[in-house]
Parts: sequence; C-alpha cells; structure tokens
Amino acid sequence: MKIIVAIKQVPERDAQVRIDPVGKWIEELDVQFALNESDAYALEEALQLKEKHGGEVIVISAGPERAGQVIREALAKGADRGIHIEADDLGSRDALGVARLLAAAIQPENPDLVLAGLQSEDLGLGQTGVILAELLGFPHSSLILHVDVTAKGLKVKRELEEGWFQSIELPLPAVLAIQSGGNKLRYATLMGIKRAKTKEVRRASAGELGADASPVVILEGISLPQKQRSTQILPGSPKEASAALVEKLRFEARVL
Amino acid sequence: MLLPHATLAEPQHFSLAEKLIFLALIVASIAAFWRRFGAVLDKILKSKKDPGFRLFPIGRRVWDFFREVMCQARVIRQRPLPGLAHAFVFWAFCAFALVTLNHCATGFGGAFLDPAGLFGRFYSWLAAAFALACAIGIFGLFVRRFLVRPRWLGEDLSWESGLIALLIFVLMVTYLAAFFVTDTAPAARVLWWIHSLTLLAFLPVIPHTKHLHLVLSPFTIFLSRGGFSAIPSLAGDEDFGLVAGKDLTQIVSLQTYSCVECGRCSEHCPATNTGKLLNPKEIVLGLRGYLNEFGPASEESLIGKYVAQEAVFQCTTCGSCEFQCPVGIEHVPILVGLRRGAVNTGAWDDDHGGKLFLALERGSNALGLGAAERDKFIQRQELPIFDGSQEYCLWLGCMGGYDPQGREIIADFARVMSYLGTSFGVLRKEKCTGDPVRRLGNDLVFQQLAESNLETLQQNKVKKIVSICPHCVRTIQTDWKEFGTPPEIEHHSEFLARHLDKLGVSPVPRLEPGKEKIVYHDPCYLGRYRNIYDEPRRVAALAGDLVEAPRHRERSFCCGAGGGLAFLGEEKGERVSHARAAELAATGATTVAAACPFCNTMFRDALAATGDGAPQLLDIAQIAARGLPRGQPVKMNESL
Ligand SMILES: Cc1cc2nc3c(=O)[nH]c(=O)nc-3n(C[C@H](O)[C@H](O)[C@H](O)COP(=O)(O)OP(=O)(O)OC[C@H]3O[C@@H](n4cnc5c(N)ncnc54)[C@H](O)[C@@H]3O)c2cc1C
Ligand code: SF4
Ligand code: SF4
Repeated sequence: MKIIVAIKQVPERDAQVRIDPVGKWIEELDVQFALNESDAYALEEALQLKEKHGGEVIVISAGPERAGQVIREALAKGADRGIHIEADDLGSRDALGVARLLAAAIQPENPDLVLAGLQSEDLGLGQTGVILAELLGFPHSSLILHVDVTAKGLKVKRELEEGWFQSIELPLPAVLAIQSGGNKLRYATLMGIKRAKTKEVRRASAGELGADASPVVILEGISLPQKQRSTQILPGSPKEASAALVEKLRFEARVL
Repeated sequence: MLLPHATLAEPQHFSLAEKLIFLALIVASIAAFWRRFGAVLDKILKSKKDPGFRLFPIGRRVWDFFREVMCQARVIRQRPLPGLAHAFVFWAFCAFALVTLNHCATGFGGAFLDPAGLFGRFYSWLAAAFALACAIGIFGLFVRRFLVRPRWLGEDLSWESGLIALLIFVLMVTYLAAFFVTDTAPAARVLWWIHSLTLLAFLPVIPHTKHLHLVLSPFTIFLSRGGFSAIPSLAGDEDFGLVAGKDLTQIVSLQTYSCVECGRCSEHCPATNTGKLLNPKEIVLGLRGYLNEFGPASEESLIGKYVAQEAVFQCTTCGSCEFQCPVGIEHVPILVGLRRGAVNTGAWDDDHGGKLFLALERGSNALGLGAAERDKFIQRQELPIFDGSQEYCLWLGCMGGYDPQGREIIADFARVMSYLGTSFGVLRKEKCTGDPVRRLGNDLVFQQLAESNLETLQQNKVKKIVSICPHCVRTIQTDWKEFGTPPEIEHHSEFLARHLDKLGVSPVPRLEPGKEKIVYHDPCYLGRYRNIYDEPRRVAALAGDLVEAPRHRERSFCCGAGGGLAFLGEEKGERVSHARAAELAATGATTVAAACPFCNTMFRDALAATGDGAPQLLDIAQIAARGLPRGQPVKMNESL
C-alpha cells in the first residue's frame, strides 16, 4: 500500500508568540517549530499500516526551508521518502490554496491512501484534508482514531462527541483526517536519524506545481487573547458560599 | 622440638628421567593453560577496538595500578579483614615469582639463587615470611567462604575456590617445610616434587576458573577508562551502543573475563536488594556467557539469552557496583551501553519511557509540563533574570522549575544567596540537562538538549552555574563535554559550605531544642560521582547533631530515582525509596537532610510510610534558610 502523509510544521506548543508589525502573522524569529500533533498520529498510523501490510510511506510538507526539519523527523521515525513543497507564501494562502499545492504534488504519485492530521495547532481550520480529498476526487472521512484494511477497502473508527464512536467503511483510494491519541507514538531514535540521511527528499516549488494561489478567504488580522482576571469573593457561611460557587461554576463558567 | 634450618633445602641432583618427566609436565601444564587462556585472549583481542581509548597520560594508569593492584587498596578498604588476607596472598604470589623461577630452574640443575649465599638466604626467608602470611590468609579465606558464608557470595559453594585454596595452601606449606629438612634428605626431594606438581596443577586451573582474574585483572585496572561511570562517546554512523557482540569493545570483553564473582557489586545494589531481576554481577557474567557462546563478532542481540532487558532498565546508575568492584569493572557504562543499544535502535518499548522521550523531543522538561509554568514560578518568586552582570547563573533544573518541592528548595536557596549578597540570576529559557535520557540511553534527545542548552548559556555569557541538583551538576559538567565547553558549575552544598561562617548567625529553629538529630542522606550523584561528603554534612549540622545511617558516604544506599527511573512508573517488588527511608528513620533522627531534589521526592512518600513520628524532610538549603535572621525580608530583585 502506498501511503502519503501530509505533515505541517507549526510553532511549538508553549511558544510565547508575538504579533508581527503587519498584524497578520506572528514573529517567527522568536519561536521554535515542531511537527503538528495530529500529524504525528497520522504518521504513526501510516507506519503501523506499513508494518502490517507492507508498502511505502511518503511524507509531504508545504512550507519554507525550516519545514525540512519535520520531513527529516518523519524519515527518522520510519517514513521511506519525503516531498518538500518549497513555499514561503503560505501565510497568504487559505486552506484551499494549501490543499491545491498538496494535491498537485500528490496526484502523480497515485497513492492508495492519503492521511492528514485532523487540524493544525496554529490555524485550527480542519479543512485542508477534506478539501484535498475533493481535489483528488477521493472519498474521505475525518476524526479517525483507528484504521483497518479490509478486502474491499478500509474500515475506520471515528470519534464522535461524548465518548461515542462510529465505524464506517470506505473504498480505496481515500483521504483520512487523523485525530490525536489513537495510537502510541514511537520515539525518534539515533539510528533512525542516521538512516534518514540516505533517504530521498524531493523538492518541488509552488511555481512548478502550477497551483492556483488566489485565496478565497482573506486573513484580516490576528490578535492575542486579552487576559483578564476578575476575582470574586463569595460571602456568607461556608455552606452558602459553596452553594453560590456551584451555581456559578454551573451557569456562568459552565464547567460542571 | 623441630627447629627450622638456616637455609631452604632444595634437592641438588636430578636424574635425566626426572628432568624429562618434569619437562613433559611443564609442557602439558602450559598447553592446558593455553588451551583455555588462548581462547579467552582471542575473544578479547578480536573485540572491537575502543574508539576513544588513549594510553596517555599514563601517570593515572600507573598510579591506579600501584594503588589498586600493588597495594590492593580497594580490596582492603572495602572489606578490611578478608581484604588483608587477600592482599597477603597476592603479595606472596609476587614474592614467589622469583622463588618459582628458581624452583623450576633447580629441576634442570640451573638454580640461580644460592640458599646459603647472602641474597639467596635473605630472599628465601623473606619469601618464607610471605608464605606464612599467605598460608594463614588463605586458610582464613577458606573458613570465611565455606563456614561463615556471607550472603553475597551466593547460595552455591564453589568447589573451584576450595581447590584453589588447597593448592595455594599446599604450595606455601611445602615451601615452608623445606626449611625443616636438609638438601640431601629424601624428604627434600619429596617436598620439591609435591611443590612442583601443585604448581603445575595450579597453572591450568587459572583460566578455567574465576581465578583468571590473577592474570587479567592487573590489565583491567591498568587499562580502565578511568573516571567514575565514564560513558564513552559513540563513534561513527554505525555505533548505537551495545547492540550485539560486534559492539563489545576490548575493554568491556577484558572486564567481563576478569570478574572474580565476589558479589561485592550486588551487595549494595538497590535493585538486587529490593528483589528486582537486576544483579550487576549477572550482567557481567551474562556478557561473558554471550562471548563464550557467540563470540565478539556476532550479530546476535546482547539482550536476550544472557542479559534480560528488564534487568538492564532497573538500574538506577547509583554506581555502588562500580565503586565496590575490586578488579575495576565499570558496570555503569556497560549498563548504559546496553540501554543505548536498545533505545538508539528503537528496540525498547515502554509506555513511561516513550512518554518521557516524546516530552523531551518536543518540550523542555522531563515532567512534560509547559514552559510557561516555569515562567510563572519565576515571576511569583520574583527571581532575578540572568543578564550577564551577575556572578552566578542559578540553574533551576526540571525539579527546581516545575516540581513543587523542588521549587521550595530553590526559593530557600535564593533567599540564602540574597542574604549573603551573592548576585545571581536565572535563565529565561532552560531545558532539561538530559540526565534521564542520557542514563536511559537516548543519545539523540540527549545531544539535542545538551547542544540547545550550551547555546543558551553561551548567548547569555554564563561563567558560573550553581545548582541544587547533583544530576544536573554531573550532566552539565561531565556529560555535556561531548558537545562543547560547559561553564564552571558547583552544587549548592559546596556553595553553602563555603559561606558557613556567615550562615549560622541566628540559631536554626529546632523541633525540640537541643534534641534535634539530623541524618544526612548522601545522594549517589553527589557522593560517589562527585566525591562531596563533608560539605553538605557541615550545612546540615546547623540544625542539630548529626547521626549516620548504617550505609553512608561511599557506601550510601540509593533513593531509587536515578538512571531515569524516577520517570518509569511503579517498580516491581519492594520500593527502593521505602527501603532507604526505613533505614534513615531507624536512626532515630528527627530530620532527614537531603541534598538532591530527586531524593527529596522519593523520600516524601517513603518517609510518611515509615509510620507515626516519621522524621521531617529538608534540603540543606532549607536548613540554611531557617537560620537566616528573622524580620528583614530578603528581596530578590534588588540589585546587590
Ligand atoms: C465534531 C467536531 C467538533 C468540533 N468542535 C469544535 C468546538 O467546539 N470548538 C472549536 O473551536 N472547534 C471545534 N472543532 C474544530 C473546528 O472545526 C476546526 O476549525 C477545525 O477542525 C480546524 O482544522 P485546521 O484547519 O487547523 O486544519 P488544517 O490547517 O486544515 O490542517 C489539517 C491537516 O492538513 C494538513 N496540512 C495543513 N497544512 C499543511 C501544510 N502546509 N503542509 C502539509 N500538510 C498540511 C495537516 O495534515 C494538518 O493536520 C470541531 C471539529 C469537529 C469535526
Ligand atoms: S549502578 Fe546501582 S542500581 Fe545499577 S547495577 Fe550498579 S549497584 Fe545496581
Ligand atoms: S563484577 Fe566485580 S564486584 Fe562484581 S562479582 Fe565481578 S569482580 Fe566482584
């Protein structure tokens, strides 16, 4: 089975971000970047499918030079080769624009299965995988925790709300958007990193792929959440105060 | 009464037949020796060369050899009585080298020592003195092994040891007896032959038994890597640690064949002592078994038939085994080497271990918390940020930055530093030093962490670091050297001890005035790894009278946290921390003084489990802070 995994490099989870002067993106110099979490699970799923059924795992990432790091990491964990779509203008592309790039690079590979993460930790749009499926003309399913290969195609387990799961079947080729937490991630190893040095990474520029870059969604600006601290002292006896506290937690904070 | 003669009796004439028989026996004895010894030597020499090995500077090696081999320092220091008995046997062997040569030469009519001559007489009497001491020594060792039978020597009685003791005893007795007969007496000839036959029987026994150490251990000690628990660098693109036979280096192979099976390494091993699978002696003997079966070029995995993976990952790297071993076997690099082999190739699969690795691949600390937590702590405590102008960089470490109890230690130590007027600051960003991943054998993550931290320190122009954690100190000072030049670093016990005269100014509040008893627990990474024993004791003594636990200083018993084990979840069998906490509580101390935040977390629950009246637990920094004058709050942020 030929599996392609779309992986994205995102700012590290606890990075302290600052908005850049234009107000449309963050100051990248300040932050460290890492592999998007659900993409790590997508990669793990792909590696486990390969271990069970054989085949090839190819990782693809669109991004500037630094995105090469996540490709190398994925190769170190066991992917067979990589495709790096070199693009510095992702900030001005919407999910459709990114998906067009990915689709153009994926099409000639004729994969059996394409895996994406459910959503990226930076933008949180959750659309790239789904749009990609439309562009490729493949069926898709999202929020996937587990994948089984059957005689007819795939049987997948989806996560619904409130602890419900759904099991569906779909034919191959297909696109799946993988939810975090379905598998145990493997750790990177020194041997993996050394072996990765000899693996192929094909570079393709956005221009070569010829994908349409005109956005349909325009980003107006970004801002940091305003921190506000309002402490309330609940008066009365301990009994009254705790009753008031439960009230507030349930109806104002909605955490109970 | 039978009195000795002034000279040693040696038969003067041997018939041709006697000479031929003697020669044939010598050839047979040497052949039998070589049959086994040659095979062992071949395995050692065919092992991989040690990549970082350097013979020079040779001074250290000569000194080690003199101290450990010639003076038998460790053998005696760790077990004075049997050690001395062993030393006399060894010294007698040395003295007998010349005697034995002369003895054999006599058989061919070529004796070169004249028993009546000045030197000959002196030497034969000198050897006699040693022979007497040796005979008594070996008798004593025999009694100990077969009648006293210390627990760590194992259940089984070793017939080999009995045979060897008998042979040595006969050698000495036949030599001494020759002082009581004359040259021409038939008894002299009988004694000579018994001595010769014993000698020729002894030789082949050596390589077939653990007495191989007679030949190998002087080399083992001379060639050792030196330092304590020195983890060698990996060399080249195909070196992932000890994966298969082909990765065993000559030094490791030499060490495995030198083991005397004395069991000293297991005696204080926290794993062996709490019913875990790991026994450091079995690791060494396991590798020997592997070499015997598969040889040094094999691709067969080391972890498997002879060495259990479970055992390898139970080691706390406390170093007690390595510290005790009389023949210089370096257990910790071997155990870490086996872990490297398993982790660097991805063969080790462990839920907790995997989580720790992933947390440190992406995040900054071993506890897997967000770095923002550390920032919040720094703000709350108003710790000054290091800006290059201060004298010290106060390294928080994972425990100091994220663990509630570790933070209390940092807060108190910072208070003490401010009170002393020492300028210091903490780094805005700091990552785990990599201690747990280093000891668990994850070289990839360790290198990333070491390099990233070294860069941060360099950017901040840090010259001097002080840390509350002996693991951070060791890792920064020693392990990071592979990737750069770390700044000078010291442990807070060293800093506090230096300023002791300014610290005891107001009496430290005591639980019961005049009755406070303090027991200090030596952390492995401060004691055995860094040789710091007195400084923390002097600080702890501020709060009361010091008492000692049965196992202390070099022989301190581990708390169970080291070697990354603090992060590996529940242990099997008895908990190491509980065993140690019970020992500390049994001293009747009112306070347990610790000097390591890892020991501190381990003892927190363990002491509570010792029952009512459990001693309180304090870091030495907390003890020092309790003695600061009241009333004048120490502000951290004021420039000093
Ligand atoms: C049932 C359900 C309930 C939800 N409830 C809530 C809610 O209550 N509140 C809420 O805020 N949100 C909720 N969401 C999420 C919301 O819909 C998100 O906006 C969406 O899921 C975000 O995904 P995304 O656009 O970041 O992903 P994308 O940015 O589209 O990324 C998805 C994946 O595409 C691939 N990809 C993207 N860019 C690249 C690149 N440059 N190179 C290679 N690969 C790339 C990666 O594999 C990535 O993981 C919910 C979603 C679902 C399905
Ligand atoms: S280092 Fe400590 S835990 Fe490890 S084997 Fe040696 S004595 Fe046992
Ligand atoms: S390894 Fe050292 S201490 Fe342990 S049994 Fe062998 S010789 Fe003795």
